[in-house]
Amino acid sequence: MIPLAVAGGTDSTMKIEGTYQIHAARERVFNALIDPAVLQRCIPGCESLEKTGEDEYAATMKAGVGPVKGTFKGNVHLQDLCPPGHYKLLVSGKGGPGFVKGTAIFDLEQVDASTMIRYSGEMQVGGIIAGVGQRMIEAAAKMMAGKFFGALESELSGEPIISCASRTP
Amino acid sequence: MIPAQFDYARANTLDEALNLLAQNEDAKILAGGHSLIPAMKLRLTQPSLLVDIARIKDLSYIREEGGQIRIGAMTTHYQIESSEQLQKICPLLPECAAHIGDMQVRNKGTIGGSLAHSDPAADWPAAILALNAELVVVSKNGERTIKADGFFVDLLTTALEPGEILREIRINKNGTRQAYAKMPHPASGFAVVGVAANLTMNGANECQSASIGITGVSSKAYRASAVESALNGASLNDDTIQGAAAHATEGEDVNGDLFASADYRRHLAEVYTRRAIAAAMKSVPSA
Repeated sequence: MIPLAVAGGTDSTMKIEGTYQIHAARERVFNALIDPAVLQRCIPGCESLEKTGEDEYAATMKAGVGPVKGTFKGNVHLQDLCPPGHYKLLVSGKGGPGFVKGTAIFDLEQVDASTMIRYSGEMQVGGIIAGVGQRMIEAAAKMMAGKFFGALESELSGEPIISCASRTP
Repeated sequence: MIPAQFDYARANTLDEALNLLAQNEDAKILAGGHSLIPAMKLRLTQPSLLVDIARIKDLSYIREEGGQIRIGAMTTHYQIESSEQLQKICPLLPECAAHIGDMQVRNKGTIGGSLAHSDPAADWPAAILALNAELVVVSKNGERTIKADGFFVDLLTTALEPGEILREIRINKNGTRQAYAKMPHPASGFAVVGVAANLTMNGANECQSASIGITGVSSKAYRASAVESALNGASLNDDTIQGAAAHATEGEDVNGDLFASADYRRHLAEVYTRRAIAAAMKSVPSA
């Protein structure tokens, strides 16, 4: 996995981009990425993901890193769906520790028997975590992206998957 | 802000503390409290129960036993900083301790608490890695020893399982040259970059083997193995040190934040690695 790269932007916006290679065919990966049941199992701490409209979902996440934990309620919106190679993801979440708003564009490319996922976007973080935890935001974002893609990989390889919500942090 | 509501229990023995942890899923150990309480005040962490281990006998000590230095987990940063014994047998420890926080933090904060918390910019993890320490951990199932190399797993995450308490830090005594070089954040004092160097030298200039622990750069402290490879068996001078230090962040995911971009941190890591190695070379070998 090529790690997530983050560059400082103006305001409180961070640019995020990275790549991840999964050993599965592109169609399977794309379908998994837009399947709410799969997303609920793979998003770290996601306890529920419920449809609220066309390609729109309401999510509840118990997210955290080490002892720092919080419950976030938010929305996930899938846009510009061009299967099996491209889509845009909008997320927003609010909880005690702060809020997160982000958009990311996903591009999938078949490379032999694997799929190369490229994601690029922006993230805004506010509230307490941005105020006192700013120095750890990037590391936390990388950790969560890593967990998400790791879970997605397990899901697609047919391994029995423990949902991220019940994993011991 | 004040913390969310919590219960408090003072454990008189380690067994009591372990039982309290086992009975309460959301319990946290309270040692010096100077990482935990600030987080609780911001409600970033909300344990339902604090298990205070400050009064447990014999968790705070500095001993020499069986060719090893053994330090109790509740030993404060100040106790380590001011230890004449450690100044002789392991000077990296008092030197590192002196860089932590401020005087008030050093009087309350403990080496065990700091290691269990594993802040990505804390000072102790770099020293513990450079010293190849072993960490002794207790649980209801008994004791186990975790090597420093395997202790720091991820951001704020260690190899400690739920219900485990870090009891002791063990370091093998051998005559090495040690130094810690740190760039502190001007407001918080946390390491923007901190490098601990531990060198086994043959004579004045030949490095037999090196251990370099780096903090502040990534999501956790790490051993700079590429730097170590360049130093092992090398004759040390300005050029070879510079060449070795250039590998300081090789293979690592370097963090960026509002104070220091990833590129700036990469540069700082090289500079401070070079400084730590040079300072270690000139230092008095540990007894």
